[in-house]
Amino acid sequence: MPDAAVGAIAFVTLLTIMVGARGIRVARTPDDFMVAARQVAPALNAAAISGEYLSAASFLGIAGLVVVRGLGALWYSVGYTAGYLVLLLLVAAPLRRFGAYTIPDFAVGRLGSRGLRQTATALVLVIGWFYLLPQMKGAGITLQWVLGTPYWVGAATLGVVVSCNIAMGGMKGITFVQCFQYWLKLSAIGIPALVLLIAAGHRSSPNLIPDHAPVFTHATVVSMTQATGFTLTRPAPATVTGLLDQRTYQDQAVSLGAGRHVAGAGTRIGFTAGAPVPVSLAMEPSSSASWDSPFLTSSTGGAHPLAATYGVIIATFFGAIGLPHILVRFYTNPDGEAARRTTLIVVLLLSSFYLFPTVLALLTRMQAPQLYLSSDSDSVVLALPGQLLPGLPGELLAALVAAGAFAAFLSTSSGLLVSVAGALSHDLMKRGVTTFRWCAITAGAIATIAALLVVRFSLALLVGWAFAIAASSFCPLMVLGIWWRRLTRIGAMAGIVIGGGSCLAAIVSTMLGAAANGWGAVLLGQPAIWTVPLAFGVMIVASLLTQRTVPANVSQVMLRMHLPEALSRQAYRTVGQASWLAPDRRAPGS
Amino acid sequence: MTAPAPGEPAPGRQRVVWRPDQVLIQHDAPGLSDLRDDTSGGRLLLRSFVRAQLGLSLMCLTFALTVTASFPVIAAMVPAVTRITVGGVPLTLLVLGFAFYPVFLAVGWFYNRHARQLEARFTSLVDPVGRRPDA
Repeated sequence: MPDAAVGAIAFVTLLTIMVGARGIRVARTPDDFMVAARQVAPALNAAAISGEYLSAASFLGIAGLVVVRGLGALWYSVGYTAGYLVLLLLVAAPLRRFGAYTIPDFAVGRLGSRGLRQTATALVLVIGWFYLLPQMKGAGITLQWVLGTPYWVGAATLGVVVSCNIAMGGMKGITFVQCFQYWLKLSAIGIPALVLLIAAGHRSSPNLIPDHAPVFTHATVVSMTQATGFTLTRPAPATVTGLLDQRTYQDQAVSLGAGRHVAGAGTRIGFTAGAPVPVSLAMEPSSSASWDSPFLTSSTGGAHPLAATYGVIIATFFGAIGLPHILVRFYTNPDGEAARRTTLIVVLLLSSFYLFPTVLALLTRMQAPQLYLSSDSDSVVLALPGQLLPGLPGELLAALVAAGAFAAFLSTSSGLLVSVAGALSHDLMKRGVTTFRWCAITAGAIATIAALLVVRFSLALLVGWAFAIAASSFCPLMVLGIWWRRLTRIGAMAGIVIGGGSCLAAIVSTMLGAAANGWGAVLLGQPAIWTVPLAFGVMIVASLLTQRTVPANVSQVMLRMHLPEALSRQAYRTVGQASWLAPDRRAPGS
Repeated sequence: MTAPAPGEPAPGRQRVVWRPDQVLIQHDAPGLSDLRDDTSGGRLLLRSFVRAQLGLSLMCLTFALTVTASFPVIAAMVPAVTRITVGGVPLTLLVLGFAFYPVFLAVGWFYNRHARQLEARFTSLVDPVGRRPDA
């Protein structure tokens, strides 16, 4: 097993470095580093955006969460795709015409305030680091699974590779890398899903019937990788080797009663076909019987599932607009019309990708329900091929999955690191290529260290939180900034600070274990349901109270964002007045 | 001074002749220069265009949100929906796993088409080809 997977991961990493290194010769100025000089075709750009967007959460997190927690986790993949639809509808074309590089640039160009730039930059760092953590965690558990190395080795490897790659090549290399990564990721999840689906054949499985606890479809030996507590819904005969309920067995037939059992690390329990699948104690209270529930309960102890589901829907639908590493990509489109076309292609590419985690989760539920016992939902996808296809084919597929997973961590963390390092060097320090390089290395090191603290949270949950913060701070700023001319800098500042701040506070208190059940758990664990309306409300009310500070150039800025390209070209040609139209230069006020 | 002859203006008054072309010259339809110079006409024009674009966006957004976000409410009110299976696969899985993506694509395609049309209409309104200096 390890040899093929190690080879595949090394191959992906080397290829990424080599493609990125080609950028060194091209990247000469800070402009090249930041947005690849804005000469990227829509299809290429869309693949690059998708490659950057599909992170560890999409590749490993969603399928694992669906297997362990139930169908409600599919709201994550629906929301991640819908986020791009919302982005297309509300911001894509005007934002491209505005022509700023980053969200802080947008805030300053639209509202003109130094304080706002610093606040926005601080928030870019918060969201970027929050989003980097799950990537590092994903790398940690993937290498742990493939090589058996400690968790920190994987996280550190990813940090070093990505920081060095960006410090050397910048964004020009990254556009090619990201595009390549999308197709790599699609094949790395699509091919195993299709092969396993064909191998499984068309068989209806009792495990898909709603309200039924899963059973083993064929005789299965479950190996415990660590000491595991589990429950059985009804008695089952089993063959046990190793420590079980404080007794040591040696390949003996045991009749396991219904109820709780504890197996030691390394214990192997053979179940017959039709036996109930044990439910890990770590998975409760989300019982396996509610697997087909369309609600999401994972982080909230099962309380108020409807509110928790809407929390995730709001966060993911509106969070994509505010992600710092995604907006940078939009400036690589030549004009607003191309930005719209690119975004629609992105929706198509994401939709195609997200079909496969669902298929993998479905196959796991049907064929390998023992993976429910795995205490870490995020390694389910890595373990599945070996369970379903024994021998070489399974090994090769597992290697492909591991390589795709590593591609996911590489590409997303590259994009994030460009934004974080860009924000650090561009907005807080002296500009220039050397500063950018040092910022990339520093930011990567901080993320790697922080990743060691988040092992116990699932990937999809961590990424969902980054979305929640973005949705309750930058999303109202972008949407109101583009469509509402009465937005003021005081209103924007108040909305960002109160919305983003309360969301961050809720998430941090959840991470520290503030409220474990009831409404407290829902409102703190999925805060977007109240922080997004709060941020919009505060921004609107505070702006209406400070109408005297509406920027004087608001008409010119609205014109630049909304005037169709045909007209702006015409005006540019007849008047020869470049300053207010030329979208290829920096935004005013920066 | 004698009384004015019929048809002549009263003393102290002046005859004014209305010429149709005069009106047209003074109250021209707002054009590109009004937008650029931020005259009241130009501002009104831009505002109505932005409002039309926003209306289109919000209409598409409302549709997409209604289709997707209504599912949890329906499932909560009619739990029988979650027990339906289609060919041995739960309906919930088909809806959440596969059914929403074509809707997103259709909405996005519809939006792009209509946004382009709105822009084309605005362009020909503000800057008709016949009025360009080089046309």
